[in-house]
Amino acid sequence: MTIREAAAALGSREVSSVELTEAALARAERANPTLNAFLTFTAEHAMEQAEQADKERAAGKDRGPLHGIPIALKDLFLTKGVRTTAGSKLYEHYIPDHDATVVEKLRAAGAISIGKLNLHELAYGITSANPHFGPVCNPWNVAHSPGGSSGGSGAAVAAGSVYAAMGTDTGGSIRIPASFCGTVGLKPTYGRVSRYGVLPLGYSLDHMGPLTRTVRDAALVLNAIAGKDVRDDTSSHRRVVDFVPEEDSHIRGVRVGLPENYFFDRLDTEVEVAVRGAIARAESLRAVIKPVRVPDVDALNAVARVILLAEASAVMEPHMGSRGSFGKDVLTLLDQGRLLPATDYIQAQRLRRKMRAEFEKLWEEVDCLMFPTTPNTAPAIGATTVQLGGVEEDVRLATTRLVRSINALGYPALSLPCGLSTSGLPIGLQIVGGPFEEALILKIGAALEDNGVGIPKCPPVA
Amino acid sequence: MKDWKAVAQASGLGLSGEELERVTGPLAALEKTFRPLVEDLPPGLEPATGVLEDIE
Repeated sequence: MTIREAAAALGSREVSSVELTEAALARAERANPTLNAFLTFTAEHAMEQAEQADKERAAGKDRGPLHGIPIALKDLFLTKGVRTTAGSKLYEHYIPDHDATVVEKLRAAGAISIGKLNLHELAYGITSANPHFGPVCNPWNVAHSPGGSSGGSGAAVAAGSVYAAMGTDTGGSIRIPASFCGTVGLKPTYGRVSRYGVLPLGYSLDHMGPLTRTVRDAALVLNAIAGKDVRDDTSSHRRVVDFVPEEDSHIRGVRVGLPENYFFDRLDTEVEVAVRGAIARAESLRAVIKPVRVPDVDALNAVARVILLAEASAVMEPHMGSRGSFGKDVLTLLDQGRLLPATDYIQAQRLRRKMRAEFEKLWEEVDCLMFPTTPNTAPAIGATTVQLGGVEEDVRLATTRLVRSINALGYPALSLPCGLSTSGLPIGLQIVGGPFEEALILKIGAALEDNGVGIPKCPPVA
Repeated sequence: MKDWKAVAQASGLGLSGEELERVTGPLAALEKTFRPLVEDLPPGLEPATGVLEDIE
C-alpha cells in the first residue's frame, strides 16, 4: 500500500492507525535481524500516537494525508527523548532535548515514527556498512549494500516496513539508497526544507528529504516538511506550493535535457538500457528530448569534494581527540579535510559560484535533465571497487559520480526506479530540475510512474 | 603540485605509513583536477557565501 492508499483506507475507516502501526512495527521487527535497518524502535510511543490519531479522526479532526501513517527517521534527525546516534560511537548514548524541525512538522501532520534508522557512520559515506552498529543489508539481495548514507531509510521503505522514511543527502545520500533499493528518493532544493536539528555533515551541502514507494508519496511528505524556518538561516522564503502532481499529469512539451557528455559515460550496460528506456517513455508521452552539453561535472565534483572535506572536518574538529571513535573510512576522510588549507576551501566556493552560473544557463534550453542516479547497481557488501566501462573505480567515487555535483548546485533531484538488472537489483533514473522546481520534477516522475516506469515490489525478506 | 605526504607529515597527525597512503593518495588525485581550476579563476570572482542568495 502507498501513503495515498493507506490514507484513503484510514479515511473510510477500513483500517485504523493502530492497526497500520502494529503491522508496520511487526514487519520492521521481523525484518530487522536480516536487514539491520533500524537502530531503535519507538513502539510504545508510536502506539500512543496511533491511538491519538484514531481518536482525532473519530472526533472529526483530520491532519491530512500523513495522519496516522507509520514512518521512520534516519538516526541523524534529533528526536526529543529518543536516542539519536548519527551511526557514531560518539553519539551512542545521546538523547536530545528537542526535535528537529522536520520531526516537528511530520508530527504536526500526524505521521507516526516507529523508530530510528541505521546509516553510514555520521552520514559520511555511501555503503551504510556501519562499523559500530553493523551493516545495513539490501532487501533485494542481502549480500548487497543498500547504498548510503541513508541506507536504513532505503531498506525500510523497500522492505515495506514503513510508508516513508526521512533521509539526508550531502553527496547523494538520499538518491543512492533510493537507486540501490528501488524506492523513490527526493532531494529538494537547498533551503526548501529546514536543516535545523539534523546533525550536520556539510553545512552548505546538506539536504533533507523523503524516501517513499511512489513519487506522489514523496510529494505528500514534501508538502508536510517544506517551508521557511527561522531557526535555519539558510531556509528559503520561497512560497510552498502543493507539490502533489494531479492525476493523469501530462508532460507534453516538457523539455527534457539528455546530457551528451559525462552523465552517460562508463555505465553498467543494464543501467544505460533501463535509463534510456525511461527517457524513451518520456518521449512517447510527448516530452521533447533535447540533447545538451553540460558544463564540466568532473570539475564540479572535485569542488564539491573539497567543500565537503573541509566542512565535515570542521564539524568533527572537537571530537578529533577521540580517533578510536571513528571507523577507518570516516577517519581517513576527516584527516583529509584537516589537511586542506582554508585557501582551498575559499577557492572551491569561488569555483562553485562560477560553475553554478554556467549551469544556470541550461535552464534556458531545458526544463529538466534526465540521467542515471548511479552508474552501477548495488555493489556487494564490502566491495571497495567496481568495474565500469572496462575501468576499475573506487566504489565511493563511482557511486557518487552522477549525484555529488547536484548538491553543490543545490538543485532539486528525484530518483525513481526504472528497471531491474538480470541479477534482480534495482536501477534508478534521476530527474534534476532548476532551483525550487520540485513540483515540476515530481510531475514528470509521476507521469512516468503512471505510464509504466517502475519495478515490481521487493520480494519479502526472508 | 602539492606534496600531500609532506603536508601530512608536517601536520602532526602522526599517521602511520599505511594511514599516510590512505589519506594522501586521494588528495593527490583530487589535486590533479582541482588545482588547474583554481589557476584559471578570474581575480574578481567572489566565493559563494551560501547557496540561497545565489539561486533566489
